[in-house]
Amino acid sequence: MALTDRPDLALLPWLKRNGVFVALATVFVVMALAAPQFATVENLRNLLQQNAVIGVIACGMTFAIIIGGFDLSVGSTAAMASVVMAIVYNATGSIALGLVAALLSGIAAGLVNGGLIAGLRINPFVATLGTMTIIRGLVFVATNATPIFGVPFSFTQLGLGRSFGVPNLVIIFVLVAAVLGFVLHQTRFGHHVYTAGGNARAAAIMGLRTARLRFWCYMIVSICAAIAGIMLVGQTASGQPQAAMGYELTAIAAVIVGGAALGGGRGGMLGTVAGVFLLGVVSNALNLLGVSPFWQPVATGLILVVAVGLDRTQSDAS
Amino acid sequence: MAESQTLRTGPPEIGGVRGPILQVDGVSMNFGAVTALSDVSMNLVAGEITGLVGDNGAGKSTLVKLISGVLRPTAGQIRFGGVPVAFASPSAAREAGIETVFQDLALAPNMPVWANIFTGRELTRGPRVLQILDRPAMIAQTREMLGRYDMNVPPIEATVERLSGGQRQIIAIARAAAWGSRFIIMDEPTAALGVAETRAVEKVIRGLREAGHSILIISHNLDQVFRLTDAIWVLRRGKMVGHVRTGSTTPDAVVAMITGADRLRHEAGHGPD
Repeated sequence: MALTDRPDLALLPWLKRNGVFVALATVFVVMALAAPQFATVENLRNLLQQNAVIGVIACGMTFAIIIGGFDLSVGSTAAMASVVMAIVYNATGSIALGLVAALLSGIAAGLVNGGLIAGLRINPFVATLGTMTIIRGLVFVATNATPIFGVPFSFTQLGLGRSFGVPNLVIIFVLVAAVLGFVLHQTRFGHHVYTAGGNARAAAIMGLRTARLRFWCYMIVSICAAIAGIMLVGQTASGQPQAAMGYELTAIAAVIVGGAALGGGRGGMLGTVAGVFLLGVVSNALNLLGVSPFWQPVATGLILVVAVGLDRTQSDAS
Repeated sequence: MAESQTLRTGPPEIGGVRGPILQVDGVSMNFGAVTALSDVSMNLVAGEITGLVGDNGAGKSTLVKLISGVLRPTAGQIRFGGVPVAFASPSAAREAGIETVFQDLALAPNMPVWANIFTGRELTRGPRVLQILDRPAMIAQTREMLGRYDMNVPPIEATVERLSGGQRQIIAIARAAAWGSRFIIMDEPTAALGVAETRAVEKVIRGLREAGHSILIISHNLDQVFRLTDAIWVLRRGKMVGHVRTGSTTPDAVVAMITGADRLRHEAGHGPD
């Protein structure tokens, strides 16, 4: 208990709060020394580009996790948005209508998830496990589980092109992270999300509308998933019903590695971004070092367990 | 304690005279066939600390819930500042100026002290639509307020989970006092605290009285009730069985009222107020 008298000086809590940045910097420096191909513009550009889609989803996921839940349906929602965009484009010939329809499909997913979790008070695991399988199933039914082609190849400018040397997907990721980071850390809404995540009952006693907060958190996640789906269309110029499978777990892992607590109340947007890149840099490093790609999930899992283990030791200390 | 100049931001005086702040008139509360309170009346004097004591099941929590808007009485009336009130919810009671310090404190452990003080009442700056938090203003106001009540508290930017039980209690009390509340209800304010922390919290409670707040304390700790209060009301089995001025009674006499062992002697000794 004596340690907690001066918690700011204790190494472990400091490491826990900043662990993801320390780990990211360490892996970066080690790789820059170990593999000459690592610290090249081309490799780093690829690395950013490869992690932009999962990064957008993770930014939204941060809200759901901080308010004490999570959303397993993001991968299915992203696939749905990509398929909806392709179908609507083929039907109307309008990219703009396709984009709007894709976003609306995400909003619909957010309405269902938010309604189930905030309105009917269904456990987030159960609710989003249900919508994850339902949405994926509906996408398969609508497409016969085959990709929808026909989106003009020029649309891949979004997913494969660059502006000022920066991949467009990375620009989208940065914009999403900046806007959501502002909402989470600078506004009343974000502040209330943290409060409700820390003690939902206290928040309600003090007059916060916790159900409404929770609803909007799931809406944000679903809209991010739809944006991710549009980014996927930008990479392949097609709607892919099989796309983004397993993204939900990678996104949750990135948010937790970034310093969030699965119980809610803790986490942050910069941490999430760093978490996304830590997982991305490690798999990139394994690639460059010639390690079999089958080892990548092992590495991701190890990082997750170490991050949560570090979190546990801090909880015990206080 | 704080000087009178700094008290201007405290609760409003009621007509300058120490009248009743809260009057409970003939209130009864039934839960189905169970009578929790039966024709209970109580008058609390503005600017005083009043103790409400009684055995377990005597009806203390029910009475507090009626006053704080959690429950509505089956019969009878509650007047606050002379005006009949029927609060639809605890928020309505809070808006009228009745704050309750809950036993589990209702603090968010992951949030800093200043954020807990301002929960639901955050200050913002810039364009209204953006609702941007004004952290510096909230931190400054928290510091000013805790200083006003002579509260010796830890760093305002530390999260509540790092505070001791006594410090948390002081934060919860400070929050109740912060918003111009005229009347503060405290349910067992020091139940979980050690001796030194209990003294610190009691000092804060006395400070609130000096600042003009009216306070109702529910406590099992009779020593504490005698240290803090100006008047004591005693509930037994849903009935108000005693009302004494703290200075003119003894703990033994109050215990006798709580247990019902000495009822006749009490009623002979205290006529109607």
